[in-house]
Amino acid sequence: MIQSELEVPAHPPVSKSCDVTLVVPITSSKAEFEQVVAAFCRELERLGRSWECILVFDGIKGEAFERGVALQVASNGRIGTIALHRPFGESVCLSSAFENSRGELILTLPQYVQIDPHELSKLFEALDNGADMAATRRDPRVDSRLNQAQSAMFNWVVRIVTGANFRDLNSTTRLMRREVLEQLTIYGSMYRYLPATAYRQGFRVDEVPVRHLAEWGGTSVFGPGAYLRRALDVVGLMFLSRFTHKPLRFFGALGGAAIFFGALLIAWQLGMWTLDDGSYGLFVRPSFLFGVLLVVLGSQTIGFGLVGEIIIYTQARNLREYRIEKVYE
Amino acid sequence: MACPELDLSLVVPVFDEEENLPMLHREIQQHIGGLGLSWEVVYVDDRSRDRSFEVLLGLRAADPHVRIVRFRRNFGQTPAMAAGFEHSRGRVVVTLDADLQNDPADIPRLVARLADGFDIVVGWRKRRQDGLWLRKVPSRIANRLIARITGAFVHDTGCTLKAFRRELIENLPIYAEQHRFLPVLALASGARIAELPVNHRPRIHGVSKYGIGRAARVALDLLTMKMLSSFSRSPLTYFALLASPFVLLPVLYLIVGAWGFGGVDFSSNWGQAALLTFILVSMAGVYFLMLGLLAELVVKVSGRPFDPLVHRGNP
Repeated sequence: MIQSELEVPAHPPVSKSCDVTLVVPITSSKAEFEQVVAAFCRELERLGRSWECILVFDGIKGEAFERGVALQVASNGRIGTIALHRPFGESVCLSSAFENSRGELILTLPQYVQIDPHELSKLFEALDNGADMAATRRDPRVDSRLNQAQSAMFNWVVRIVTGANFRDLNSTTRLMRREVLEQLTIYGSMYRYLPATAYRQGFRVDEVPVRHLAEWGGTSVFGPGAYLRRALDVVGLMFLSRFTHKPLRFFGALGGAAIFFGALLIAWQLGMWTLDDGSYGLFVRPSFLFGVLLVVLGSQTIGFGLVGEIIIYTQARNLREYRIEKVYE
Repeated sequence: MACPELDLSLVVPVFDEEENLPMLHREIQQHIGGLGLSWEVVYVDDRSRDRSFEVLLGLRAADPHVRIVRFRRNFGQTPAMAAGFEHSRGRVVVTLDADLQNDPADIPRLVARLADGFDIVVGWRKRRQDGLWLRKVPSRIANRLIARITGAFVHDTGCTLKAFRRELIENLPIYAEQHRFLPVLALASGARIAELPVNHRPRIHGVSKYGIGRAARVALDLLTMKMLSSFSRSPLTYFALLASPFVLLPVLYLIVGAWGFGGVDFSSNWGQAALLTFILVSMAGVYFLMLGLLAELVVKVSGRPFDPLVHRGNP
C-alpha cells in the first residue's frame, strides 16, 4: 500500500468504518463483477454514501481472480478480495465477508448486473423508514415465462412453509443492518432464504419492487437435482422455523399419525380374524403386516423426536428463543 | 445474568393488556411498596398489538421501579418469562399474569413461604374463575396426568403466579411452551416445592388467550417431561423402557411357540408370516436402543448443563 504524504501512522486506519459494505459472492469464472462494482459504486457515490466492497471468490481461481486482484489494486484498497480455497457456497461467502466488513450496512449483490442500480435509493429509503433489511422483488421481470413460473411456484411454497410473505427470494440484492447478520447464524443454503430467516427472528424485512435489467445464463429448466435440493431446503426450513424448540411436536405428529393408521389396520384385521370361523388367514394378508410396519415406523419417528428434545434441553442455554428490541431501564 | 441486587423482582409477560395494566400496577405498588423490600417490576412486552407499550412507558415515567423489556415480535408467553428472568435482578423472582386474574395481594405470602426454606412456591387457584368445561376440566385432567406420570404433585401447574429463588431459575432451562412444567423440572433438579392457595379473579378486560384443543400437545409434552425429569442423565434407560414391549413381544412368541405349540414352525404360511411380523417388531426395539445411545452421546457432549440444586442455608 502506498503511503500518502500526510502524517501517516505506522498502520493504515483499518478500523475506520464506512456506510455500506458491498458483498459480491462470485461463484462462476464468467462473473461480470467489474460491471457490478462499477455500476453500484457509482450509484453509491451519487447517493453520498461512503462504501467499501468485498469480492468473495467461492473457489474461483485463475483469470477471474486475477481480475479481482487487479480491481483491488486499482481501487487502492477500497475493494477487497477474499479467496476461498474450494467452493463453500454463498452463505460461507457472506459470513466470511461479514467478518471482514466495516460498513454499518451490508449490501449483497449477485455477480452480474441484475437490477437497475438507480433503484438502490429505494432500499435505503426502506431502511430509513425503520426496516432492518430491504429485500428486492424484480418487477416487472424480463426473463422467460418458464423461469418466472418456476420462481413463482418456489416462492409460493416457501411462503406457505415459513409464513413469511416474500415473493422473490431468488433476487439476492439485499440491503441490511449489521445487527441482522450479527444475530443470525448463516450456513448451508441459508443465503437464499435470508429474508425469511430474518423475519422469523423478529427483524422487520421489507420487500421492495425494483427494475429488472437482465437475467444471466438464459432460460433453463432446473434439473431434477436442483428441484430436489430446493425441496430439501424447504423441509429443513419448515422444521427449523417452526419446531426448533419443540422437535417432538413435529416428529410426534408424524409418528402419531402413522401409529394411529397402523393401529386401525391391525384392529380391523384382528376383528375380521376373531369374527371369522378360524379359516381367516390373518398373516397371509398384507394389511396386517402393513399395519405392524406403520406402528413400528411411527414409534421410531417419536423416538427421533425424543432425541431431538434431549438435544434442545441440553443446549437450551445456547439457543435463545426470543429477540429483544430494547430494555427500558 | 445480572448479579442480584434487589430483594424482589416481579416478572409480568404482557400481551394486549392495555386496560388492565394501570390497575395491575396500582395494586402491585399497594401490596409490594409497603413491604420494606427493594423491588422492581419487569414488564415484558410480547409485541402487543394494542397500546400496551405506550401504557407501560407511562407507568415507567411515573414509577422508577418499572423496567420494560420489549420483544422484536410476538414470541409467546414462555419466551417472555425467560426474557423477564434474564433481565431481572431480584434474589426472589415472582411471575404473574398481566390480566388481573392473579391477585398481587398474594405475593407477600408467596415470598414469606419461600423464606421458610423452599426454592419454588406455586400458586394454586383453588376457586378458579374460568369456564368449567373449556378451562377447568381439561386443566384438572392435565394436572392429574402430570402428577401421576412425573411424580410432581402440584394441583395447578398452569397458574402463572409462582415465586422462585434466583439460584433455581439459573439452573432451569426455560424454553418452548413449557412454563407449566417448571415445577416438574425444578423437582428433578432437587428443588423443594411448596404450594399455596391463591386468589383467582374473573377477567374484567380483554379476552383469554388460551384455547382448548391442546390434548395431543399436552400428551407429547408429557412424554418429553417424563424423559427430562426422570432420565435426563441416563436417557438410555428411558429408551430401553420404550423398547421393552417391542422386544418382549417377539421373545414371548418364541417361548410360546417353542413350548406351547410344538416348536416354531416355518412350514406353514402362518409360521412364516408371524415370524416376519415379529422380526419387524423386534427391529423397532433395536432401533430404540440405538436412539438411546445417541441420546447418551448428546447428554455426554453437553457436559453437565443443569446442576442439581445445592442448599447452602438460608441467605
